[in-house]
Amino acid sequence: MPMTDAVSASRLTKTFGSRRGVVDVDLRVRRGEVFGFLGPNGAGKSTTIRLMLGLYRPTAGEITVLGRDPLLDGVAMRAKVGYLPGELALFPRLTGREHLEWFSRARAMRSTTYRDELVERFTVELDRPVRALSKGNRQKIGIVLAFMHRPELLVLDEPTSGLDPLLQDEFAQLLRETAADGRTVFLSSHELDEVQRIADRVAIIREGRIVVTDGVEQLRRSAPRTVEFVFEREVDPGAFSGVDGVRLIENVDHRMRLAFSGAIAPLLRVAAELEPVDMTARAADLEELFLTYYRDDARTTEVGR
Amino acid sequence: MTTETLFRTRGVLGVGALDVARLDLRLRRRATLSYAVGLALYTLAVVAIYPSFKGDTSLDKLVQSDPTMMAAFGVTGSLTSPEGWLNANIFNNFLPVVAVIVAIGYGAWCVAGQDEAGTLAPVAALPVTRRNLVLQKTGALVVQLLPTMVLTFCCVLLGRFFQLDVSGVRLVAATFSIWLLGVGFGLLALVVGVGAGSRGLAIGVSSAVAAAAYLISSFASTISWIRPARFVSPFYWAVGANPIGDGVAASNIAALVGLAVLLLVAAVVTMRRADLH
Repeated sequence: MPMTDAVSASRLTKTFGSRRGVVDVDLRVRRGEVFGFLGPNGAGKSTTIRLMLGLYRPTAGEITVLGRDPLLDGVAMRAKVGYLPGELALFPRLTGREHLEWFSRARAMRSTTYRDELVERFTVELDRPVRALSKGNRQKIGIVLAFMHRPELLVLDEPTSGLDPLLQDEFAQLLRETAADGRTVFLSSHELDEVQRIADRVAIIREGRIVVTDGVEQLRRSAPRTVEFVFEREVDPGAFSGVDGVRLIENVDHRMRLAFSGAIAPLLRVAAELEPVDMTARAADLEELFLTYYRDDARTTEVGR
Repeated sequence: MTTETLFRTRGVLGVGALDVARLDLRLRRRATLSYAVGLALYTLAVVAIYPSFKGDTSLDKLVQSDPTMMAAFGVTGSLTSPEGWLNANIFNNFLPVVAVIVAIGYGAWCVAGQDEAGTLAPVAALPVTRRNLVLQKTGALVVQLLPTMVLTFCCVLLGRFFQLDVSGVRLVAATFSIWLLGVGFGLLALVVGVGAGSRGLAIGVSSAVAAAAYLISSFASTISWIRPARFVSPFYWAVGANPIGDGVAASNIAALVGLAVLLLVAAVVTMRRADLH
């Protein structure tokens, strides 16, 4: 039997009365990949995730996770899924240890070796009630709860919020190991940096709709680059209006920053006429692309190609 | 080690039959025991002072002089007989009201409250069905009322040493029906909470229904226009008549069981349709 996709959604829609959740979401997450799910807050990331876990009932459309329907076959599916909620809430009066023990027991885990390794690796505070812990320390417990049973699919909603940079690196390492192990990671985030380091492919969701799904490398290639010119006098940015694929980012103090995509020669020809005194160019930046998709005028902004 | 060998079959088939119930009981342990001890102390006091009031005929005159007023507090008939004393001080009012408060508190919290707090999602994301969740939470509700019921029952039994000699069978029946009454209102709060997605609304609606049911039951004996409504009041089914003196009719207990089963079915159906966060 061929392996099904880890997640497959087609025209998945969820509305809450008249409130939009997500609309016509199409997603395919392959087994063994790290899939980034990007979007600003409120775009529908958590809604999609709750549909994946069977916490929400879809209004329309279809979704299967690990080849199973989350509503009809949710028990078997969730046995193989690890979930880290976006706004992780734990039981305030219980300690980290009590949480780990209860969830291990509820999942009928026979071995706790891997769990205890994770505890050590992330220096999880086990002995204090979670209400006395910082957000980062609570998040660490959440990470262990999601990973400890070595699930086939990890569904992580904004997993690194509250983690210090050192632990973020450790966490990225854990994701790479997980993918190397043939398991799948679905990682939602509103921060591109977090995702572009480790994801193979990303989908960007905006106002409940997926606006693009592509490989990180492909996106990077089509992403606009940034170039900065320094002039001795005030220069009218309108001079660049004839060049395809150029957009003004800012123009202050005789410094003009432009985002551009495509070949650089036409841009340089125009710039040379204006006699810049200095120029710096940055490598292709997904951030710029990301912002392009986030912006309200996403559809009219010139991007890529 | 492969993924499969890390799990016993139970992990694949579903969350253990009692894990969720155990967790909720653990989280409510302090509240449960406080209520049980508090009510036990109250009951002991009521029992212990009975001999001082036993011959106090002015108490009975008070009831006769303003029966409606006294009915509001759940007092009907003789106050100084052992049965009347226990009805008026424990079984017609205090015990069912506390049972209902405890049950509504848990019923509203166990799904809607946990969902609002965000602690339900990690549990619902375990390999567990919605039906299993509701059944376990109902189990926790039933068990949670036990300490209060059993301790109170035992304290009333001690009344034998304080001239409060009443029928043990009727005592069991009365305590049992109050327990069922609590379970019923707890399930009502659970259903409203799941349906409305709000713990506050669950507490509000169930408390309002409980208060109405209590008043109907209390005034049924003294206010004639309320009297016909007594048959829709679960309070009346449980303790409306003279539970310690006359016992609770089997049909009333059956009605309480029926109500609980109906609400349990409603809870499962509502839960299956609910969006959890």
